[in-house]
Amino acid sequence: MIPFLRRHASLMAIAAIGAAAGATIWRRDGAGALAAALVHAWDLFLFILPSLLAGMLLAASVRQLVAPGMLARWMGAESGLFGLAVATAAGALTPGGPMAAFPLVLVLAAAGADRGALVAYILSWSLNGFQKLLVYEVSLLGLDFALMRTLLTLPMPVLAGWVARRLPIAWTPPR
Amino acid sequence: MTAGQAVLWVLALGALGLCLRRGPGTARKAVTDAGQSILKILPMFAVALPMAAFLAELIPADAASAWIGPESGTTGILVASFAGGLMPGGPFVTFPLVLAFAKAGAGVAQMVALVTGWSIFAIHRIVTWEYPLLGWRFVALRVLAAAPLPIIAGLLAELVLQVVPIGLGRP
Repeated sequence: MIPFLRRHASLMAIAAIGAAAGATIWRRDGAGALAAALVHAWDLFLFILPSLLAGMLLAASVRQLVAPGMLARWMGAESGLFGLAVATAAGALTPGGPMAAFPLVLVLAAAGADRGALVAYILSWSLNGFQKLLVYEVSLLGLDFALMRTLLTLPMPVLAGWVARRLPIAWTPPR
Repeated sequence: MTAGQAVLWVLALGALGLCLRRGPGTARKAVTDAGQSILKILPMFAVALPMAAFLAELIPADAASAWIGPESGTTGILVASFAGGLMPGGPFVTFPLVLAFAKAGAGVAQMVALVTGWSIFAIHRIVTWEYPLLGWRFVALRVLAAAPLPIIAGLLAELVLQVVPIGLGRP
């Protein structure tokens, strides 16, 4: 029950917000406005569908080609800025959502990556993961915007990893 | 098909070709894996896209311009960084909503801060994945180390925008 709730918590939260917003539109502007909004959502879906299919295929292929633990030996506590850069690159290249990325943190930790590298890894995935970037950000917000935001935030995981190594919070991976 | 989509397809088919060179089994696994991911994400789309469309309809045309408009400056960047962390759901929710904010008058630098704040803080993701899997110490470590980043990203974007004009939305 708990795993089921965890897996579907955001789905239910989004559905609840959506139902409330839909009801508000219906009461304010009538069923026509509601239908118009749904048509708009459908158009958006059709617009993003080709990217979605290609993105999923790319992600699944990359998962078959690269073993996640492979890079961890470059990411130890003594790895310095180079290790943080490797972690940042690995994060940006990690396909898929949180259900894929967070378990990988445990895999990398078991293979020798330190907390700074893991912080850099997860931040780089969430800031600049290629799948999210190509499928959603470029197609919805435009190439110029996506390019500017990515270039500005590209070095940030290294910075945060460097800070994380110096914070007085000890972390050992749970087993 | 846009140029971005074409590039994505070339990359995807290239990666699938590499799988095929490893053997037909690997390629078949990649295709089934992709199919399963798509089936898993479709229910999300079914609720997230209507929600984003409804919210876009409900946000008044000038609502965003006062708080996070182009003239809102550093205050707007702070507001957007914080608001980004509260956005529920994955990219299929956030990016359509950002598009809606943009139409309601949000500034480009403020949207950089918002997307960055969402990427880093996304509270729903911390609650559902990061805390249960990695523990609160890891959450604290990561959030403390990254806290100023959305604001820095917004301020840097403001500097960039003074030199290069960059718009928001589909080309």
